[in-house]
Amino acid sequence: MKREAISALRARRGFLRKIGRAATVVAAAAAAGTGGVMDKAAAKSGAAAGRASFPTPDYDWTKHRWAFGVDATKCIGCLRCVEACKHENAVPLTAHHFRTWVERYVYLEGEDQPRIDSQQDPVNIAASGSEREYRFADRYAGAKVEKAFFVPKLCNQCTHPACVQVCPVGATYKGADGVVLIDHEYCIGCRYCVQACPYGARYFDEGKGVSDKCTWCYHRITKGLQPACVEVCPVGARVFGDRNDPQSPISLFIRNNRVQVLKPETGNGPNVFYVGIDKAVL
Amino acid sequence: MPKHIVRLIALLAGGLALGLAAKWYFTAPSFYEYGHYRADSVPQIAAQEPAFQGAGYCQGCHGERHAQWSANNHKSVTCESCHGAAQGHPQKGKLPIPADARKLCTLCHEKMAERPRTQPQIDSAQHGAGQQCIVCHNPHAPRLAVAAALVAGDAAAGGRKHAASCASCHGANGISPNEPWPDLAGQNAAYLARILGAYKSGAQTDVMMSPVAQSLSDAEVQNLAAYYAGLSCRAPARAAGAGAAAGKLLAKNCSACHGETGIAANPAWPHIAGQKSTYLANTLKAFRAGLRKDPMMAGVVRGLSDADIANLAAYYTAQSCGPASKGKGGS
Repeated sequence: MKREAISALRARRGFLRKIGRAATVVAAAAAAGTGGVMDKAAAKSGAAAGRASFPTPDYDWTKHRWAFGVDATKCIGCLRCVEACKHENAVPLTAHHFRTWVERYVYLEGEDQPRIDSQQDPVNIAASGSEREYRFADRYAGAKVEKAFFVPKLCNQCTHPACVQVCPVGATYKGADGVVLIDHEYCIGCRYCVQACPYGARYFDEGKGVSDKCTWCYHRITKGLQPACVEVCPVGARVFGDRNDPQSPISLFIRNNRVQVLKPETGNGPNVFYVGIDKAVL
Repeated sequence: MPKHIVRLIALLAGGLALGLAAKWYFTAPSFYEYGHYRADSVPQIAAQEPAFQGAGYCQGCHGERHAQWSANNHKSVTCESCHGAAQGHPQKGKLPIPADARKLCTLCHEKMAERPRTQPQIDSAQHGAGQQCIVCHNPHAPRLAVAAALVAGDAAAGGRKHAASCASCHGANGISPNEPWPDLAGQNAAYLARILGAYKSGAQTDVMMSPVAQSLSDAEVQNLAAYYAGLSCRAPARAAGAGAAAGKLLAKNCSACHGETGIAANPAWPHIAGQKSTYLANTLKAFRAGLRKDPMMAGVVRGLSDADIANLAAYYTAQSCGPASKGKGGS
């Protein structure tokens, strides 16, 4: 049922798009007499053809299809990734702004629902000593733990991103290499995208007045580096690579494991693939 | 056409032209180039400088450290995981050496049910007696090199060998009559076997010990270790000499391995309680000078002065080798 509903929704979107294009053509024809606009449009398409490799001379975004893997069975909850991400991307050092975070799921004996916390839980902040340091408190030390594990989370760089669809000014978009980016010069800080993301991956940066989120360290991957969280992970719980390369770590990860994604029913088509998570992980 | 209709059309056309002109004016040049966004923002985002440089960057100057690290079981933990991002280093100064290893190391190694079982974990309240981790563990090669080998020797045969080869220096009952030579009675068997093996292989040298050890077979080493471990360390209690109090403070740095009073909890390490003070001092000085080689001891003695060494020796020699040492030396 859900899948049918989604495809119907897509068909409707396609129809509206066609109507929109027709309207644009009519309007442009009407405005032809006023000149200018059409000339500028022509200049724009010329510029597009002029860029041999985009966005940088060494990196052509049409040649890559990035994806991310998380092996929750390896994660030890050390939170080096969270600290590295904050530093690499100048994320505000408060307990409410994270591009990536780690959740802890603990099933105690006799309880059906897991107890869930993340590094921003007050108990964990108390254990670390400050909001600028990250540590999971050993809060279940005396308890009878039936099952427990950590789950790192980050932006899923969805194939059909809801956040991009709701942006009223074209400040967020999906690039040809699959990464959803934010143009901080165009963002008006309306926070529709923060609301739209089903994964809670976006936050509002009050200091800059713009929305922000994980970009898989776009400035690093376009230079041939790994995202900072992958770089510092001591146990290889985070995997990153290019799906266009069948031998890349992520291609092997997806091929050699039974992977799953978070909330597939939303139709966003997430591109972070998980191994070793539980039904309670959303 | 009626006049008011013409006016209305003119007004609408004017409004449309004005609107399109405004859109043309306010839209960034690269908007719509690749889609409904400003294409120039992509190179802007990609232009940001990376903060984390990767271990290869560190290797350029710290080749020796890099070689040690990459050959040991912390090799999956990159330099910047502990030392922080290397952007601006060395131009803008040094990277921090983590001051509180107990805080940093337990981020990964504190025992928690949530961690995968394959992760090495400790209960920090029970481990290392509050010492900094780096007292015993080299963070670049964290696994302790010393593993206690099981000693399975014939103590009786060891006793006969002792009488023939060792008793003249180390005393009839393993209690040395001479200050520079160590008491062996009650010592950990695994430690004795390791040290005799080191003399035998040449890993450690001594004018007296090297030729003796080289004449021993592997079985004889095991027998001797078993024999000495079984002896009672009934050396007469020594009065605490000058400096023992100062030595007790310094001994905090030794207690994680050698025990608070010099009774080692791990059979791979020697008991030093009640040991000859001259022998203890000489041994520490030998470690400091690099004549005896041990990665752990080298780090510990590096900062010790002659006076510190004398104080430590005075402290440990005054401790009772006591009952705790019995039965800890393996079979």
